[in-house]
Amino acid sequence: MRIPWRFLALLAGAFVFLFPFYYMLVGSLQTEPDPSIRGAFPDPGNLTGHNYSEINAEINLGRSLLNSGVFTGGVILGTLVFGVLAGYALARLQFRGRGAVFSLMLLVQVVPFQLLTIPLYVLIVRSYGLADSYLGMIAPFAINSTAVFVFRQYFLQLPEELFDAARIDGAGELNILWRIAVPLVKPALLTGVLMTFIGPWNEFLWPFLITKQQDLQPLAVSLSNYLTTVSARAANPFGAVLAGACVLAAPAVTLFIIFQRRFISSSLESGVKG
Amino acid sequence: MKRKKLTAALLALGLAGTTVACGGSDGGGDADAAATARGEITIWMSNNKEEVAWGKQMVAAWNTAHPDQKVTAQEIPTGKSSEEVIGAAITAGNAPCLIFNTSPASVSQFQKQGGLVALDSFADGKSYVESRTGKSAEQYKSTDGKYYQLPWKANPVMIFYNKLAFAKAGIDTVKPPLSTYDEFLATSRKVVAAKGAKFAIYPAPSNEFFQSWFDFYPLFAAETGGKQLVADGKSQFASEEGKKVAAFWRTLYADKLASQEKYTGDSFVDGTAAMAIVGPWAIATYKGKVEWGAVPVPTSAGKPAAETYTFSDAKNVAMYSACKNRGTAWDVLKFASSKEQDGKLLEGSGQMPLRADVAGTYPEYFAKNPDYKQFADQAARTVEVPNVPNSITIWQNFRDAYSKSVIFGQEDPGAALDGAAQKVDQLAAQS
Amino acid sequence: MSQQRVLSPRRVERAGGQPPPTRRRGLLGGVFGKHPIGSAFVTPYLVFLAAIFAYPLGFAVYMSFHDYFFTAPGAIVDRPFVGFDNYAAVLSDPAVRRAFGNVGIFLLINVPLTVGLSLVLAFALNSAIRWRTFFRVSYYVPYVAASVAVVGVWLFLFNADGLVNRVLGPLAPDPSWLVNSKLAMPTIAIYVTWKQLGFFILLYLAALQNVSKDLYEAASMDGAGRLKSFWNVTVPGVRPATTLVVLLATVTGANLFTEPYLLTGGGGPDGASASPVLIMYQRGIEQGNPDVGSAIGVLLVIGVLLLALIERRFVGREGR
Repeated sequence: MRIPWRFLALLAGAFVFLFPFYYMLVGSLQTEPDPSIRGAFPDPGNLTGHNYSEINAEINLGRSLLNSGVFTGGVILGTLVFGVLAGYALARLQFRGRGAVFSLMLLVQVVPFQLLTIPLYVLIVRSYGLADSYLGMIAPFAINSTAVFVFRQYFLQLPEELFDAARIDGAGELNILWRIAVPLVKPALLTGVLMTFIGPWNEFLWPFLITKQQDLQPLAVSLSNYLTTVSARAANPFGAVLAGACVLAAPAVTLFIIFQRRFISSSLESGVKG
Repeated sequence: MKRKKLTAALLALGLAGTTVACGGSDGGGDADAAATARGEITIWMSNNKEEVAWGKQMVAAWNTAHPDQKVTAQEIPTGKSSEEVIGAAITAGNAPCLIFNTSPASVSQFQKQGGLVALDSFADGKSYVESRTGKSAEQYKSTDGKYYQLPWKANPVMIFYNKLAFAKAGIDTVKPPLSTYDEFLATSRKVVAAKGAKFAIYPAPSNEFFQSWFDFYPLFAAETGGKQLVADGKSQFASEEGKKVAAFWRTLYADKLASQEKYTGDSFVDGTAAMAIVGPWAIATYKGKVEWGAVPVPTSAGKPAAETYTFSDAKNVAMYSACKNRGTAWDVLKFASSKEQDGKLLEGSGQMPLRADVAGTYPEYFAKNPDYKQFADQAARTVEVPNVPNSITIWQNFRDAYSKSVIFGQEDPGAALDGAAQKVDQLAAQS
Repeated sequence: MSQQRVLSPRRVERAGGQPPPTRRRGLLGGVFGKHPIGSAFVTPYLVFLAAIFAYPLGFAVYMSFHDYFFTAPGAIVDRPFVGFDNYAAVLSDPAVRRAFGNVGIFLLINVPLTVGLSLVLAFALNSAIRWRTFFRVSYYVPYVAASVAVVGVWLFLFNADGLVNRVLGPLAPDPSWLVNSKLAMPTIAIYVTWKQLGFFILLYLAALQNVSKDLYEAASMDGAGRLKSFWNVTVPGVRPATTLVVLLATVTGANLFTEPYLLTGGGGPDGASASPVLIMYQRGIEQGNPDVGSAIGVLLVIGVLLLALIERRFVGREGR
C-alpha cells in the first residue's frame, strides 16, 4: 500500500494554515471568551450566534455590503479593462516608451500608500471635488498596478509563434488580444481579479477619509468603527471582533471557492495546434 | 540601461508633480465676516455610544430651536486614526465647524497648521471658557495665550481594583492599601500570589505616543503635586520625582506584576489583571462584569486623596478654520457646554464635564450615583498634557525611552529619562 | 504543424520566455515602435497614473527637500528649501537605520520561504488529489481575512503562555516571541509569510497551467524521477512567475506597515520590529513632519528599486 505522503503533508500544512482561522470562527461563536487551550474545542453549551446578531443590530450589513460591492466592483472593472490592455501592450507590443511605462508601473507599486495619503486626499477632494462619492473612493485604486504587472508576466509566457501566426493572418491587435491571448491566460486573469478584490474589500482608511456619511461607507469601515467602540460593551468583546472579521472575510472566501475551479485553463497545445 | 529609464520616469513624475503643486491655492477667508456669520454647520463627534446618544439629543434640541441654523452631526472613530482624519480634513479645507473629539495633545499641531479658530476672537470667548472651567482652564491656553479649544470633559484617571480578586487574596476591599508605592507593590504581590489574577495591573505596554498617559503620567502628576511633563519650555520628568515613578513601574514589570505583551481585549474585564488605571468612562464597560472599587493613584510617600493629582484624559471641542458660519458654531458650542447639556452628558456617560465644581453643580446626580462622586472630586485636581509645539513628537520620544528602559529593562530608567529630557528640551524650544 | 510541438524543455523555455532576437522592421519604422497601437493600449493607464499619482508623488519628493508641513488652505507659512537636510537627519537617526535593518531581516526570511513554499504547494495542489478544493481554500483563506482580526488570534497564540509556548514547553524563548528583541521581526516574518502564501500559490498555480504536459512525459521517458522532473521541468517552466513572486514579495515586504503596527503596537521592544513605513507614518502623519516622512519614503523607494534590479539580474531572465 502506498503511503499518501503528499496528501498527509498537505493535510498537515492545511491544518497549520487553517487553525488560526478556525480559532477565529470558534471564538466568534462563543458566549464567553475562553482563553485556555480547551477553548479551541468549545462545548456546545458555549456556542451562540449572539455576536453576529449584535453586529447586525449595530451596522446596516446590507447597505455596507452594497457599498463594498460598488467600491470593489469599480476597481475590478477598471483593472480588468484597462489593466489587461496595458499588461498586454507591455508584454507583447513594441511601442515607443514601453520601457518608461514599465518603469513607471514598477515605481507606482513600490511607493507605499502612506506616503501619498494626504496630498492624494487634497487632490481628490479639492481639485476633483470627489468627496462623499463612490468615484472618490475608487479613484486611487482604479487600476491596480500589481495586477498590470501580473498580467504582463503571464502574457509574456505565451509563445511568440502564436502571435506571429495571427499577425500573418492579418488580425488586428485588439482582436488578437481578445480572441487569442485572453482565453489563454484565464487563470492569470482570475488571479488578478482575486488579488485586486482583496485590497479595496479590506481597505479601511481611504473610504473613511473620503466620506463620513454612514450610508456610503463600505463594510470594512463600518466593522472597524464598530470594533473600536461598541465591542468593548459587548458581552464577549473578543468574540465580537472575530465575528466582524468572519463577516468581512466570508464573501471573499465564497468567491474564491466558486472560481477556483476555473484555474485549469485550456492547455497551450490546443491554441497552437492546427 | 534600465536605470536611465527609471531616472527619466522619476524626473518626469517629479516635474509633473511640482508643476501641479505650484497651482494656486485659495485666498484666506475673511475671519471677521465669518465670526458673525450664521447658517448651517456640520459637527463631528466621537462614536462612543453614550456620547453619540448625548450628541443626537443635543443636535435635535438645537435644531428645533433654530431651524434656520441647522446642525448636521457625523461620527468619527476615536483612536489612532482620528488625528489623521482631522489633519487631512484641515489640509483639504473640508473640516467641520466643531469637532467634539479634539485631543488636547493635537491642538498645538492643528493650530500650527492654521486649522483652528481662536475662541478669543469672539467677544465673550475668553470669559466664557474661564468662567465655565475655572482655574484649570489655564492649562488649555496655547503658547500665544489664546484658547484654541474649549475644555469639554475629563476622565480623571484612577486605580480601579477588582473586589472579588482582592477578597480572594484576603485584602480589604473597602480601603485597600494602595496609597504608597510600597503598599501598592505589596498588595500587588499578594493578589498575584493568591491567584486572584494573573497580573496585578496591566497598562498597555505598546509604543504608541499616548500610552504614557495611562501609566507614567498620572503617577507623575500625583507625585509632583500637579506638574506637567514640560513646563516653561523645559522637561520636568527627569527630576527626582519622575525617576521615582519610573523606578516604581520598573519594579512592577521586573517582578512580572505587569505584562510586557500586548493584550487583546480588556484585561480588567477578563479578570487577567486585578487592577486597571483608567477613567470613569470605563465604568459602563465594567457594569455587570466586574465588581469594582476605585482609589486615587499611589505616590511614593502617600498623600491624602484630597491632595492627589492625576491625568485628566480630557477631550475637548475646537472650532476649525474651514468653518464659514462661525457665529452659529460659537452659539452651538456654548449651548452644548451649557449647564443643562453638561448635566445630560454627565448622566448619560458618567464622564466629568470640565466645569468648576462639578460635584456642587449637579448634587442630585451624585446623590443618585455615589460611586461617581470620587471622580468629580478628583476632576478638580487634574493635569493636562502640555500645550507646546511638537507635542506629539515629544510624547513619542518619551514613550520610546520609557518603553526601552522601564517596560523592557534594556536601559537604566534614570539614564533613559535624562536622555529623553535633552531631546524634549530641544523639541519644546522650536516653534 | 503538430510535429513541431514535440519540443525539448529548453526550446520551450526559450520560446515561452524570450522572443527571437531579431525582427523585421515594420512600416512605420522605429519611430513609434513596431506596434504603435501599444501606445493607445497603455494610454488609459497612463492617464490614470498622471491624474492620480503624479501630483502626490511629485509632491512627496518636493516635500522631502523642504522644511514642510501641511496647512489649512490660505494659511501662509515659510517653507524654505533645505536641500538634503531631511535626508541627512533621517540617515543619521538610529531608529530609522534599525527599521531598515529590520526590513532586511524580514525580507531575508520571507522571500525565500515564500518562493519555496508557494511553488511546492502550488505544484502539489495542481495535481489531482482528493479534497483539492478544500486544500486550495484552506491555503488561500488567511490571505483573505483582514489582518486586524487575524492578529488577535495570532497574538493570543504567541503569548507568553499561549498555545505555542505551551507546546514547546522548555524550548519556549524567554522574553516571549513578540517581546523578544531578536525574535520579534522573525515572528512577524513568519506571520506575513503565512498570511500571504495563498496569493503566491495562486500565482504559481496559474503559471503551472502553462507548463505543457508533454514536457513531463518527455522527462519521465528520459527516466527522471519526480524530484528531478520538478527541478528540471517545473522550476524553469515557471520562471517568469518566480520573478513575479520574488519582486512582489520584496515590494510588499519593504512596505510593511500593518503587521508591525498591530502585532507589536508600533515598534516593539526598542524598535526591534519597527518598519520604515511605520516610522514614516509616525513622523509624517502623527507628528506632523511630512518632510521627514517623505525623505524616509523616497529612500525606501530607491532602496526597493535597487533591490528589484538586483533580483531581476539573478532571477529574472524573460526579456527587458
